[in-house]
Order: sequence, then C-alpha cells, then structure tokens
Amino acid sequence: MKKLLLSLIFILSIAGFSATKLVLWTAPNPQDEMFWKEVLTEWKKYRPDIEISWTTIPAAGSSEEAILSAIASGRTPDICGNIFAGFAAQLVEIDQIIELNKMPDYDKLIQNRTMKTIMEGWKLNGKNYVIPIYSNPILMWWRIDVLKKIGYSEPPRTYSELYELSKKFVVPKEKYAIRVIQGRNWWDRWYDYITYYYAASEGKPYIDTKKSKALFGSDAGKQVTEFISYMFKNNLTALELGTAPLYTGSLLGSLQGPWEIPYAENQFPDILKNIVITPPLVPDSYPKDKPVYTFADTKGIVIFKSSKHQKESWEFVKWVLSNEQFDKRFLEITKMPPAREDLMENPIFKDFFTRNPLSAEYAKYVKYAVPPALITKTVEVQDEMTVSLVEPLMYGTKAPQAALDEAVKKINKIIW
Amino acid sequence: MEKISKLKKRRVLKGWGISLTYLGYSAIFWGYPFIWLVILTFSKWRYAGSPKFTGIDNILRVLSDELFWKTFLNTLNFMLYYIPMVLILSLLFAVALSKIKYMKSFIVLSFLVANISSGVAYSILFSKLFAENGPLNQTLYKAFGVTVPWFTNPQFAMLSIAIIVVWKFIGYYGLILYAGVQAIPKSVYEAAELDGAGKLTRFFKITIPLINPSLVMVTVMAITLAFGIFTEPYMITGGGPMRSTLSPMMLMYTTAFQKLDPTYSATMSIFVALMSFTIVFVFRKLFEREVNFQ
Repeated sequence: MKKLLLSLIFILSIAGFSATKLVLWTAPNPQDEMFWKEVLTEWKKYRPDIEISWTTIPAAGSSEEAILSAIASGRTPDICGNIFAGFAAQLVEIDQIIELNKMPDYDKLIQNRTMKTIMEGWKLNGKNYVIPIYSNPILMWWRIDVLKKIGYSEPPRTYSELYELSKKFVVPKEKYAIRVIQGRNWWDRWYDYITYYYAASEGKPYIDTKKSKALFGSDAGKQVTEFISYMFKNNLTALELGTAPLYTGSLLGSLQGPWEIPYAENQFPDILKNIVITPPLVPDSYPKDKPVYTFADTKGIVIFKSSKHQKESWEFVKWVLSNEQFDKRFLEITKMPPAREDLMENPIFKDFFTRNPLSAEYAKYVKYAVPPALITKTVEVQDEMTVSLVEPLMYGTKAPQAALDEAVKKINKIIW
Repeated sequence: MEKISKLKKRRVLKGWGISLTYLGYSAIFWGYPFIWLVILTFSKWRYAGSPKFTGIDNILRVLSDELFWKTFLNTLNFMLYYIPMVLILSLLFAVALSKIKYMKSFIVLSFLVANISSGVAYSILFSKLFAENGPLNQTLYKAFGVTVPWFTNPQFAMLSIAIIVVWKFIGYYGLILYAGVQAIPKSVYEAAELDGAGKLTRFFKITIPLINPSLVMVTVMAITLAFGIFTEPYMITGGGPMRSTLSPMMLMYTTAFQKLDPTYSATMSIFVALMSFTIVFVFRKLFEREVNFQ
C-alpha cells in the first residue's frame, strides 16, 4: 500500500512538473475577459498538457507601460494580446517579439481566417510579427431624425454637401455640424486626420515606411487639410462639444468606432434607432461608385522571444484564430468585428448581423479599413501632426497649405 | 562611570533601532531608485538588456532640447497663476476658519474632500464644466453674449488648470496656515490693540510675519507640486493647445513609456529635480524668517 502511494505521488509530481505552462496576457476590459475565459475553458479540454496561466495586462498607465515594465524586469508573458501596430514596430526594434510568418502552418491560418489582404497592412520589412484579432473600421454616425427635420433624407457624402446642410443647422456655441477633431492627444489623429486621409486617398499610406517619407502632402492630404480648416473657420465645428453631443441633438454627426454601439444601446437606446452609419466624408471629386476606405483601429496578438515555449505558444495562437466559433463569440461579446475578410459572406456570422444591423455596417468596411503606419515613432509623428497641422487649422493661425507643408517637413525630419 | 557609558550605549542602540525602519524604507524606496536614476542618466537603455554607458550624451541632449525647456517655461507660467491664487485663497480660508465658532470640522472636511478626490474623476468633471459649450460657457453666453476659451486658448488653458489645482489644495494648505494662525499667542494681538493697531495693521504686521514658517512651507509645497503636475493636463488638455500646458512629468512619461527612451526620461527627471530644488532654495533664502513669540 505504502509503495503504491509513493509511486502515485512520484507519477503525479512528474506529470505536474512536465506540464508546459504558458503565460497569456489580454486586454483589461470586461468584454475581452469574458471572451478569453470561454476560450481557455475550451483549451483546457483540448490540450490539458499545456497549461495556460491567464491574466489581463497588469494595471498601469497603459498596456504599453505594463509590457515595458515586464520586459525590464524579465517577466514578459509568452503570449500577449492588445498590441497596436506602432507598439509592435517598437517591440520589433528592441528585438522582443518573434516573426510569426516563419511558424508552421502560418499561411494556412491566414488563408483559413481570410486575412491575406489584412496581413499586408501589418507587414514590417516584409515580415509579420502580429496577427490582428479585431479590426474596427472608423465610420460616421448621423442623426437621421435631425437631418430629416432640416429637410435632408440622407446623410451627406462629400465635404460640400456637409457645408451646405450645416448652414441650416449650426448655431454657434449651441449646435454644430460634426465633430471633426477628436482631441489633442497623439492618438486622436487616428480618428480624425488619418481617417479622413484614408477616405480621400483610397486607402493610400500616409507614411512610406520603406523610404521613411511622409506622403500626406499629396492632393488628398491637401483636400483634408482644407476641409478641416473650412469647418473651423466657419464655426461649423468646435473642439469641445460638451457631454454626448450627438445624443443630445447638438451635433449632426461624428466619427465612431463599433465600441460605441454597446454604449449607446445602454445609455441612449431610443436615439440609437435614429442613427445611420456611413463611411467618412470624402472630397467632392471622389467618385460615387468607388468604395470609401477608412482607418482600422486594430490590435493583435504577439509571441515574445523570451518565451521558452514558442512552439506551444504558436500552437495556442493558431488554435484560437483558426476556430470560427471563437470569432463568432468575440463578435457577439465585444461587438467588434474580428479581423477577417469574409464577415459578410460567411454564414456563421449571418445571424448576428441580421440581429445587429449597425454592427453589420462596420463588418462591411473591415476590408476597406487600413491599419496605422507600422513605424517606431508613431507618438512623435502624431504629436507633430497635432502641433504643426491640426492645431494651426483649429485656431486659424496658419493657411492650410503652409500648415501642411510644415507638418510634412517636420515629420520627414522625425522619421528620417 | 561604567554605568553611564552602558546607559549611553543603550540609548544609542535604541535611537538606531527606532530610526532603522525609516532608514530601511528610505534606502529601498528612495536610495535604490535614485541610484538607478543616476546610472540611467549616463547610459542608453531601452528596457531590454543591460544599460550601455554613454557618458554625458543624455545631459547634452536635454540642454539642447527645445521641448524640454518649453515644459520648464510652462511650469513657471503655471506657478505664476497657481502660487498667488492658492496662497491668497488658503490664507483667507485659514483666517475665516479661525473666526468661526460652529461647524468647524464640517467646513474643514468639506474643503478636504477636494484634496482626496480622484484626479481622473475631477479632471473629467472640470473638462465638461469648462467645455466650449459646457454649462459655464452657456451661462456666460446667455447672460453676457461672450464665452471664455477655458481650454482652447494657451494662456486660459494654463489658468484653468491652475484654478482646478487651487480648488484641490485650498483645504489642505489652508489647514496648515490655520495651525500657524492658531499658534500666535492672543496676548500679542491684545498688546497691539492697546497700542491702537487696526484690523488690517494687525493682519499685515502680526499675522503674516508670525505665520512665516507655515507660509514658507506651503509655498515650498506649491513649488514642488508645480513641477509634478500630470493628471490634470494629461486628462484635460493633453498638453495643448500648442503644447502650452505640456508639463515636464507628461513629457517624461511619454518619453519613457511611449517613445521607449527611459534613459533620456531619467536625465530629464534629474534636471527637473535640480531646478525645483534651486527655486525652493532661492525662495527660502529670500523669504524664510525665524519666528519667536517671546
């Protein structure tokens, strides 16, 4: 009996020690947590030999701060989600994450998840280090009930159309046409200038990452610059618009991500019925029949070089992303579209989109949503964009062309 | 003789025993990070690997960094608004408190609530309150047909942030000044009154000079605070407009955690500490007086 007990303990301890243990960090928000909890319950059944110790990214000023502190103290996880393109480029620069396109069955995964075009936008020097989990196109929300009151049955498509209808609605200090500029933090540029630039330029890059050169000095960039300037000069917009202006009726439209849907469902369910979603506004010369591109707020998953179990980590990543059911659950829980190009064609998502028409609008634009430039100096570039381009337009301190020229010049200096 | 020496030894040991907790705490939470900070100042390190010695490269970079010096000027600009406002208002609070007979604790607690409130929460509250079409501006517009660009004009933005920080600290500083006012013996006032000194004379010739230690302490605290503001500009203005509210702390934070340059950020922090110490030193030399009630 004693011998049996001892050998049982021996076997159990060997089994205990031999189980591979991976550390996984994911985004610290309730919806993401709910999703990963379900995934890990399934994983336990699928591979009980690979144990996953899962936590959300530790509390800090930002996810990036927490991850950098982990790198400094040698406590990086094996796998980490919630990585945006610019931060991924920085992690590559300091040699912290592995090249995923070299891993076995990578091509098969990309093909199965229909993300070939999407992955092109995530290439850094021809290599892929991150696989995006979701891709949130930034689209325009309009109050159709308010538009109808001023005599318009559909939202404007071009800048001029907006200028015209604004005259019937705007009352300075009270009501404005749209929110053009989101704020003055560096990340706000993703949701205003860069979004409008992608829309005006058919999704062309604003930075040439190979030649390290700013490209938004083009015609498209000029048209966007003039649009922002016109809106501020004529008091059709303002920087601070008070609390929930779109819902209180003091704003006709605003660019939003799909994360706004659950918020509006909870806070303003009646007004949500009057919301119509369109792509961002485009210059007057933009052809009607061409698709409008927009910015993709997208985050992905990476594997750290310090991981002792890179093979097993990849196996987990591959398993999660290959399963359509998980993408469906992610969509249901977070309302954010998974980064895949077949959302509208794949029958597995059909039921969800029939029940959630606003989310379906977002899904339609996933293939036209372009991620930010993969550069290591995202913060510096977008901060300069704020100071040299957006703020002079807001305060009318510089002519649009002069502001654009200066921003291009200074940003070229930063990225060179 | 031997007995005295033993007693002395025991007292020394006791003294060390009591101080040891504080010394240990300081060594771990102040000394160790400070040594690291100095090492980082002379190195290049980007979180991974070990720091590489680079001499005074970082120091030279700070000296020629326009953005860093802009944040220093912003801090001086902030102090220009903040220190006079907070000193006058907390002094008024202290004097008023010393005259009140009832509900003193309630009033003190009400003012201290601001001090313990979450910076993020009240920053959001003030940003809504002061918004371009927020309640404050709408009232002004309806009454006088004008609005104030609270956060959109470079000078107003700094003033608005100073107002918010003043709101937070009136209660705290006021309480320190109140303790100073209370410590002044009543007999001094009585003697002055007999000599025919009026209310204003008593305030300026007795109260103000005799609360010099409290005033100096509050001002020193206000100076060090000015170099450390972060939450309010970060949450409300994001450092704008035109980088007019960008604080050294914000610059250090973005440099370390968003631009991935912690060694440069460490160097900036040494500069900020030196500048804040210098200003405090000069201020104390100029204004600090020894106060004796005898």
